Amino acid sequence: MEAAALPHHDHHGPPPANSSSRVEPQLLGMLLFIISEIMVFGAFFTAYFFIRVVAGSDWFPVEDFELPKVVAGVNTAILVSSSLTMHWALEGAKHGNRAHLKSGLLLTLLLGSTFLFVQINEYVNLTQEGLTPSVLAQGSVFYGLTGLHGAHVFIGLTLLLFATIRAFRGHFTPDEHRGVEVPGIYWHFVDVMWILVYSSVYLL
Amino acid sequence: MAAREEDTPIQHRQKDRAAVLPMVLIVVVSATTGVILGLLIDWFPTPASTQADPIDTLWDVLIIASVPIFVGVQAFVLYCVWRFRMRPGQELQDGPPIHGNTTLEVVWTVIPAVLILGLCAYSFFILEDIEEAKANEMRINVTGQQFTWTFEYPKSVTGGKPIRSAQLYVPEDRPVHFYVKSQDVLHDFWVPAWRMKIDAVPGIETKVRMTPNRLGRYSIVCAELCGIGHAYMRQTANVVSQEDFDEWLRSKQQRGGTAGGGAAGGEEIDGKTIFTEGNGESTACGACHALADAGTNATTGPNLDKVLPGMTPEQIREAIVDPNKEIEEGFGEGIMPDNFEQLLTPEELDALVKYLDEVRK
Amino acid sequence: MSLRSAGYPRAGLFGLLGLAFSYALVSSIRALYGWDPVVDGEAVARVAMLAVPLFMLVGFGLFDYWFYWAAGKPTRPEDHSGHGAFSWRDYFRPNTDHKVIGIQYTVTSFVFLFIGGLLAMLMRAELAQPGRQFVDADTYNGLFSVHASILIFLFIIPVFAGLANFVLPLMIGAPDMAFPRLNALSYWLLPLAGTMMLLSFFAPGGSFATGWTAYAPLSETSPIGQEFFTIGVQFAGASSIATALNFLVTIITMRAPGMSFFRMPLLVWANFSTSLLVVIATPFIAASQFFILLDRALGFRYFDAALGGDVLMYQHVFWFYSHPAVYIMMLPGFGIISEIIAVKARKPIFGYRMMAFSLLAIVVLGFTVWAHHMFVSGMQSWIRIPMMITTAVIAVPTGIKIFSWCATLWRGVLRLDTPMLFALGFLTMFTLGGISGVMFAMIPIDIHTSDTYFVVAHIHYVLFGGSVFTILAGVYYWFPKMTGRMYDESLGKLHFWLTFVFFNLSFGPMHLIGVKGMPRRVYDYSEAFAGWNLMITISSLCLGLSFLVFAYNIVASWRGGPRAAANPWRALTLEWQVSSPPPVFNFDHIPTVVGGPYEYGTPGAVHGVFKGGARVEQPAGAAVEPSSRE
Ligand code: HEA
Ligand code: HEA
Ligand code: HEC
Ligand code: CUA
Ligand SMILES: [Cu+2]
Repeated sequence: MEAAALPHHDHHGPPPANSSSRVEPQLLGMLLFIISEIMVFGAFFTAYFFIRVVAGSDWFPVEDFELPKVVAGVNTAILVSSSLTMHWALEGAKHGNRAHLKSGLLLTLLLGSTFLFVQINEYVNLTQEGLTPSVLAQGSVFYGLTGLHGAHVFIGLTLLLFATIRAFRGHFTPDEHRGVEVPGIYWHFVDVMWILVYSSVYLL
Repeated sequence: MAAREEDTPIQHRQKDRAAVLPMVLIVVVSATTGVILGLLIDWFPTPASTQADPIDTLWDVLIIASVPIFVGVQAFVLYCVWRFRMRPGQELQDGPPIHGNTTLEVVWTVIPAVLILGLCAYSFFILEDIEEAKANEMRINVTGQQFTWTFEYPKSVTGGKPIRSAQLYVPEDRPVHFYVKSQDVLHDFWVPAWRMKIDAVPGIETKVRMTPNRLGRYSIVCAELCGIGHAYMRQTANVVSQEDFDEWLRSKQQRGGTAGGGAAGGEEIDGKTIFTEGNGESTACGACHALADAGTNATTGPNLDKVLPGMTPEQIREAIVDPNKEIEEGFGEGIMPDNFEQLLTPEELDALVKYLDEVRK
Repeated sequence: MSLRSAGYPRAGLFGLLGLAFSYALVSSIRALYGWDPVVDGEAVARVAMLAVPLFMLVGFGLFDYWFYWAAGKPTRPEDHSGHGAFSWRDYFRPNTDHKVIGIQYTVTSFVFLFIGGLLAMLMRAELAQPGRQFVDADTYNGLFSVHASILIFLFIIPVFAGLANFVLPLMIGAPDMAFPRLNALSYWLLPLAGTMMLLSFFAPGGSFATGWTAYAPLSETSPIGQEFFTIGVQFAGASSIATALNFLVTIITMRAPGMSFFRMPLLVWANFSTSLLVVIATPFIAASQFFILLDRALGFRYFDAALGGDVLMYQHVFWFYSHPAVYIMMLPGFGIISEIIAVKARKPIFGYRMMAFSLLAIVVLGFTVWAHHMFVSGMQSWIRIPMMITTAVIAVPTGIKIFSWCATLWRGVLRLDTPMLFALGFLTMFTLGGISGVMFAMIPIDIHTSDTYFVVAHIHYVLFGGSVFTILAGVYYWFPKMTGRMYDESLGKLHFWLTFVFFNLSFGPMHLIGVKGMPRRVYDYSEAFAGWNLMITISSLCLGLSFLVFAYNIVASWRGGPRAAANPWRALTLEWQVSSPPPVFNFDHIPTVVGGPYEYGTPGAVHGVFKGGARVEQPAGAAVEPSSRE
């Protein structure tokens, strides 16, 4: 039913709620939530800013600790492409093309988990080289920012997993696919955020 | 509904004016009395630095600027309560539907804005004034640690090798530039009589300028929560004449940068004085410990009348020079300063231990 | 109740599961890395603090629906069993009705007020005389830290959310909030957060004792009790973000036909602005506590100068939330006051639009002033100047509000009943608190008064004389609507006068001893302040006792007070046009809004009309007959 319906929930007690805005509550809610998320990252970037700029500590390579720019670069590519597959899936849902929908979601899940796997791998290597969060503030910032983002990838994947399950159970129609759209938006956000993290932590 | 809004505009204005005049009167009168009272109150501790006077003046200006606002609002509300309160029979009556008045709204936006910016500008100049560098400043390094301050007089001051002391001695009328550091957590170096304070921040060196201009002893207060001993992180700032200061420096240099001056007074060292007053650098034991013989009854540390009997002189010495070695039941670690070995001369330490060893019997 | 169906038993069971989970997780990891001891109490406690509450919420059934949804199962059709409360028991179950949640919120937070206040009583008893009375320094530090944290994060912030939860949907003519389940979840996070903070008193090494500001590095070296704050705040913060999202979406998408933004009651505007602040600022305190947690738990080094960390960064991040937070704790109050003053003075709010704009101005300015808490922190000294100006400038929009309220009183017909008394008390007391704030803004003054009792005085004049007065005003004002009963007017007045007098006697003198040089956060002080402190202690005890009058009045009236009419105040806003308490779904017919919310003094003016164009009929007697003209 119409806009003011409850989240993931298609039936509301009488009387029908007003819809005083063209925006759908779910979308609006997700957008506002993303603002909050941006601020969380903002705070972790503040830490980055203070330690790198204000305190003026030098940035990687520090004490011959290097960050694997290239691997992370490849990883970035993976994540970006996962955004495309996500878009593909949504288009599928919109045009009632279930094959697109399912395969798109599956691919996104696959790419997303690959990203996480690579990143964890990177952590393991770095710690073996001796760059733990405890040896340097820079280390803390690095693990903090990338870790925070990793956590968000995980959340995004969980949401997508739910969408996928529902997709395979035959939910979602061309005019009722919010369950794909909303996690999708979140996923794109996670993606964009990574580009910021990557460029400021690895490249700059 | 209420007849009022059927008033003609003229009646409106008449009604307003009738009410406005007494209101203005009351507001003005109460505001002025408020300001006078505000100025009569003796707010600050005795000013003892050149920074104090401008700050106190700024304070008075702020009183003059802001008390009228507070008292004015106060008086206005009370006036309305008295004048416009609902009388019997008015239960169903409404006020006139006044939705706003642009001129008024502009006025009470602009006036406060101007006032505010004026105050900011004035404060800015005061700030410049109290923080400006002065000629022949004396540098003193201040180190905060849980829970005591240590003051180091660098070569530039002593001429010889640096001197460390737990009590602050400064000459009168000499600008001092304090370089503040912290060994552990945040502290805040504050001398209320001098009005100035600055945090001691681990990892960075903060600076603050004060020019003491009144002889006397003033308390140094730690104003940033730094843990269990925060309330006791107090020391004394002694403002002395230039001669006495030089004298003090000299005596300290002779005594190898540790003890001297102060209470113990040099020659025959009396453990009890060390306990009750410290030696001029060390914190007084009595500040934290109860000891009947010394007539102290502080409770930060263990009651020595109770614990001493169980201790040998060696243990007592141990407990003084290395208090955190073993912690007395029920007390936090690291409250008792661990710098007494540096601050007390061996002789003084012996005297202190001897004294405690006697009183415990 | 079986263990398989949602409810308290299952919640308890899941709680235990959470404990077991944390235990297993920690131990297995430590075993994996071959660390010993394999069982690390602190680590387990740490994980448990995060896991147990979540497990309990799951067990309590707050996630059931989403689990069904996630699994793609056919979700149970809404039978509205989650709506309305028919016995007091229903208030102890998860409920998706915004009115029930509103009352749950309000009552819970008042419980926390009483607890936090009792802690304050202990503090005052300790401070009655110089020297140690009956608590040691560590306990005392714990007392004021928990006192402040409880009162800020579990009283002021949630109680405003609670009152708004009840009245806001009614005011905009909506049947409920946009996300009722999220609403329920955000409520149930609170008791958990609060209990966690209070439990810290039983933690080894005592409760968290670094103030509600929890400055690093002290908060990193202090005992495990600290983490009850670090983690408790996360739950409280999550709760208020969720509520804020809910409010924003509700206000934007669920207004009744005709309810344009500039026809919204100012309370709605106030909560709109507040929610913006929450959504944007709260993540920062979450992050600041993440930093602490990471440092403590995983050995991160954000604040270790020796390794290139920056200690001041904590303060910047913390205050970037916590200054806006002080407006989060004030703006909803502004809203409440606007409602009450308009109704009780029987006049339209003076300068409605400026009232709305000044709220937004405060929101914007609020983000530009955080460093005024750091004038003496040793940060780059130039930052102080712009911060001084922005800080002081906030006085202008706030002044607009104060003056507009005053102008609203002008030539009104003031009904001086309890809500109005508290509203007027707020008007005067908050002005004083705000002015001491502006004095802080003047750097040279702040250099001397920072971290003294002058700050404590400011805190309580704005938070008690400001926020708490508005809250009490609001509680009395909407009590008839919430409970369907009338409170006792004379007891209410008694409560006001006791509170007002002893409030001033308690916190007024703190201005003086502060400037005279008494630092805050000390449990012992110099003889010089003995006299004042004794007097403060005595009057704050009376202040505390005055709350007993309030408690009695509320409880007694709720149980046996006279039935309240639908619209006892003859107010125009929509919540008063439905029965008291309102019907389960708020409106049988959605109203259409045809005019401003405060058109008092205009004959026959209405705010909303109901289906069939029927004019909102006011309860008998309340209607304004022409006969009543002078
Ligand atoms: C409800 C909460 C609340 C509110 C609304 C405010 C409002 C303000 N606060 Fe306050 N503040 C706190 C809660 C609050 N504060 C708390 C809890 C602390 C301590 C934190 C800690 O524990 O360290 C604190 C500390 C604090 C400090 C730091 C002090 C220190 O630690 O050194 C400063 C410094 O600038 C400050 C300033 C202000 C200002 C300028 C306002 C302004 O918004 C006030 C504006 C209002 C008015 C000015 C009155 C009405 C205006 C008029 C009538 C117009 C005319 C007035 C003039 C022209 C002056 N506050
Ligand atoms: C909403 C916020 C709020 C409220 C309502 C209060 C209410 C009170 N506060 Fe609080 N306070 C803070 C917020 C608040 N405070 C903050 C943020 C700080 C800073 C902490 C820090 O430094 O980190 C602080 C610090 C603070 C200090 C300074 C501590 C220090 O720096 O050393 C003191 C000291 O007097 C104090 C006292 C009181 C008192 C007496 C009340 C009274 O108004 C309480 C009255 C209420 C009750 C008493 C409860 C209800 C009554 C009953 C349950 C009946 C039974 C009671 C009796 C037995 C008499 N507070
Ligand atoms: C800032 C407070 C403080 C000061 C100053 C201080 N003490 Fe202590 N002292 C403590 C505390 C707290 C303890 C208990 C914790 C511990 O054992 O370290 C203690 C412990 C002791 C003990 C050991 C008691 C026991 O049973 O183990 C002795 C002896 C003692 N202090 C003597 C002194 C003497 C002598 C001085 C002065 C030179 C002094 N203290 C100065 C706080 C202080
Ligand atoms: Cu050092 Cu407080
Ligand atoms: Cu602030």
